[in-house]
Amino acid sequence: MNILEMNHINKKFDKLEVIKDISLSVSEGEILSIIGPSGSGKSTILRCATMLETINGGEIKYLDKQAVRTDDNGNVVYAKGDKMKNIKSNFGLVFQNFNLFPHYSVLKNIMDAPLTVQKRDKKEVYETAKDLLEKMGLSDKADYYPCQLSGGQQQRVSIARALAMKPKILFFDEPTSALDPELTLEILKVIRGLAEEHMTMVIVTHEMNFAREVSSRIIFMEKGVIVEETTPEKMFNSDNQRTREFLGRYSQL
Amino acid sequence: MSFQMMLMQLAGGMVKSISIFAWTLIFSLPLGLIVSFGRMSSNKLLGGVVKFYISVMRGTPLMLQLLVVYFGPYYLFKMHIGGAYRFIAIILGFSVNYAAYFAEIFRSGIESMPKGQYEAAQILGYSKNQTFFKIILPQVVKRILPAITNEVITLVKDTSLAFSLAYLEMFSITKQIAAKETTFVPFIVAGLFYYIFNFVVAMVMENLENRMKYYK
Amino acid sequence: MKKFAAVLMSVIMVASLAGCGSSSASKAASGSAPSSGAASSKNASASANKSSANTENMSDKKKFVVGFDAEYPPYGYMDDDGQYVGFDLDLAQAVCDMEGWELVKTPIDWDSKDMELNSGSIDCIWSGFTINGRESDYQWTQPYVDNSQVMVVSDDSGISSLADLKGKTVGVQSASAALTLLQDPKGQKDLADTFAKLQEFGDYNSAFVELQSGSIDAVAMDVGVANYQLKSRGEGYKILDEALNTEQYGVGFKKGNTELCDIVNADLTKLAGDGTVAKLADKYGISDLVCLKAK
Repeated sequence: MNILEMNHINKKFDKLEVIKDISLSVSEGEILSIIGPSGSGKSTILRCATMLETINGGEIKYLDKQAVRTDDNGNVVYAKGDKMKNIKSNFGLVFQNFNLFPHYSVLKNIMDAPLTVQKRDKKEVYETAKDLLEKMGLSDKADYYPCQLSGGQQQRVSIARALAMKPKILFFDEPTSALDPELTLEILKVIRGLAEEHMTMVIVTHEMNFAREVSSRIIFMEKGVIVEETTPEKMFNSDNQRTREFLGRYSQL
Repeated sequence: MSFQMMLMQLAGGMVKSISIFAWTLIFSLPLGLIVSFGRMSSNKLLGGVVKFYISVMRGTPLMLQLLVVYFGPYYLFKMHIGGAYRFIAIILGFSVNYAAYFAEIFRSGIESMPKGQYEAAQILGYSKNQTFFKIILPQVVKRILPAITNEVITLVKDTSLAFSLAYLEMFSITKQIAAKETTFVPFIVAGLFYYIFNFVVAMVMENLENRMKYYK
Repeated sequence: MKKFAAVLMSVIMVASLAGCGSSSASKAASGSAPSSGAASSKNASASANKSSANTENMSDKKKFVVGFDAEYPPYGYMDDDGQYVGFDLDLAQAVCDMEGWELVKTPIDWDSKDMELNSGSIDCIWSGFTINGRESDYQWTQPYVDNSQVMVVSDDSGISSLADLKGKTVGVQSASAALTLLQDPKGQKDLADTFAKLQEFGDYNSAFVELQSGSIDAVAMDVGVANYQLKSRGEGYKILDEALNTEQYGVGFKKGNTELCDIVNADLTKLAGDGTVAKLADKYGISDLVCLKAK
């Protein structure tokens, strides 16, 4: 069973079509990377999948449960109330700019949502948070505030915050774009660790080598459509001219 | 009148000024938050009405508003006024006026919040109420505190406008003592009282600001 | 956030306490101070206690709400003990004592006196209130004080007649009888037109400071007020012999409120007859001005 299924997604900003009839799916344990030039719509498709953007047509399903559908009249219908809440609990998202809550300590950033949203047991959540911090190499930073941490540390906290919710699939929206190269490496290391644990992930990234190394599948997007979707090996030896041009430009950087 | 007596009289007036001050804050701060929601509402009618209310409150003198609140019910509806309504009218007038200013401060604070905070809360499954009261409002308070401090200090001085409704707060008493004694001493003492009052207010507000300095 | 809420809560607590305290304090203030002129200070304080007790127990007593300008000695002002006294208020108290009413002394903002009266917030204006020029605006009692409007100047100003005020700056209280007189074409507007400037001020205190500093040359006011001011300020000022006008004070009720006005009017005559008025006039140093006659 696919954890995520997106069918014939359309998304417009005013009259500009940024996503044109895109379909994709992610099965359990899979790591899907989405690459492509700026403005290709790769971040937008992620924001559509996480309901941060409202789609203009198509269908989104998590674990076969319909989150959005388009009826016969072309109206987009989102699931409501508890059903939507349930569906949303399946995924987490790591932002480019971390978006930690600055007024909460590191520990509270991680623990608050499991406590207030999922109403989980405090002791259990505390243990989970401690484990996650240890895994992120931040055990000594539990009582720090986000402003006291480096960008890389903040991003690791935000990954821990997402994982504390125990999602079935984790989205990364350019998780290293706001970071210096050496800080980028520590985040990639964390994601690699998650990959080894077979965490299902969708990663929008500019780190080509990383995508090639960690992904089970790569999608190359341009101008709102999927140009190519294949394994890393095939992608990096593609015959497609646009893929080659894009990857070529990147290797020159 | 002995100096000691004068101090006692002024201190009595001070208590009344403080009670205007405190009651106004108690009512106008929450009211201001509600008004700011109305101002930001996507409902155009509501937004327009609130915008008009704010512009009237900011565009006309507070003293005039106080007179309207107190005498209005009689002139419009022939209602009996006087007695306890004097104080109620003062608190009502002050609260409704200050709520308009606070609403604009709240609005500026809320609108300055980065979208990412809302999105992070949404992804984590917080409800709209939880998002606002747990994530957004505390950060808004930190951002707007300096502007709030300004208004609060202005309020201390504005309490003297209650004299227009013949409420004997400190400034009215000061003028009466000055008239009786034919000196300016009461004004100097009153100035000192106001200054001390504001000094304390500024200290409390600074303390609050410092408490929120632990994050950026 | 919790700490902020805690601080806010404590402010609220203090405020509500302050609110309670102030309201009971004001009750005591308006209830006490019977100050029936003749009473010795010992008796006065004793009856003050009694009357404040009465306020609590006998709230069914008819209230007589007098509006007055508390910045207008000797007619109405705050005394050394912080109580409101004055010729007018003592006289009002004497009327209340006769009728068994409870006197409620309400200091008002003079600019709002008509709104206070018309809206029923107060029963009458009893505050050195000039009848002349306002004859048809209020329900008046008989005049009880004959007052004139005079000019006060500095001794060394060299001004000795109204004609000398030509080209000078003259101060006058806002919304006062003197101002009305100086703006009335049938009154002294012609004289006022010879001034360089007619400057309005809020209270006599600032007017005298301006007079002293030379920024104004003369101040127009009631003679009773002038006598009081000159007495308490000592040397350095004089009243011009030439008066602007002669005028009379009465108690002003809302137009049409003849019932209450008639009662008070009759009581004034009685109080003149039993010597109370003369005693009060003597106490406040305005014996020359009082014009109430027993029938």
